[in-house]
Amino acid sequence: MRHVVEQPDAAAPKPLTEPVLLILMSLAAQPRHGYALIKDIETLSNHRVRLSTGTLYGALRRLLDDLWIERFEQEDTSRDKQAYRLTAEGRRQLQLELERLKQLTRVGIARLRMNEA
Amino acid sequence: MTLAYRALFQLYPRDHRTCFGAEMQSVFEEAAQEHRSRGWTAYLRFALAEYAGLVVGSGTAWAVKLAGRGYVYDQRLIRPANAAALPGEVQEAQDRLTANLTGLLHAISHHQFLKARLYAAEEQKAREELRLLREKYNIAESGDLV
Repeated sequence: MRHVVEQPDAAAPKPLTEPVLLILMSLAAQPRHGYALIKDIETLSNHRVRLSTGTLYGALRRLLDDLWIERFEQEDTSRDKQAYRLTAEGRRQLQLELERLKQLTRVGIARLRMNEA
Repeated sequence: MTLAYRALFQLYPRDHRTCFGAEMQSVFEEAAQEHRSRGWTAYLRFALAEYAGLVVGSGTAWAVKLAGRGYVYDQRLIRPANAAALPGEVQEAQDRLTANLTGLLHAISHHQFLKARLYAAEEQKAREELRLLREKYNIAESGDLV
């Protein structure tokens, strides 16, 4: 007998991990290369998150595979650098995640207020 | 510290090393320089975090590889031999097309059909972009400048 396990909603986007969310947020403003991403993420997270190169490039690899970002050669005056930019799909996924977080925040605040009242 | 970084980096699968090796090393050196100027404690903390990141990152990369996901992203590795003679934006468009085709085939062979659809749409866009650029630069289908 074959058991079929129903998925809640296979097409529903999964929540993003914090490094992935921060990378997408950083690239939403402009294309960046690896070190610029690390620095910007530090600033974005108020110096709470400092990605190691291992974590950064693991996340970049996944994002490249999913076509959420693309790689290109940024012409620099001193040297050629590989830079990354968001694709249309990456931008859409970031918007979805930010909407999800906004909704979650709204519900959380409402619950807090309910308890205080 | 750079030697230790290089040694630990060897833990990664070969395709990851080929694709990101030079870049990761350069980012590490840039960051190391900055932390060195903040004193030895900050530098040591930074180095330990980097080493731990490499160990965890290489484990994840191997898990991805063994699960049959992921592919070689370095488009320069699969660039045609005559590519160097082509204008930069044509090379980029060709790279994008090749990467999308590789991704499409990979997604289909791993039954990732949602991803395949995404790659197919991107592949169409890249093909059209390349066609327009070929027209602009008078380049034949074979890639030779006319």
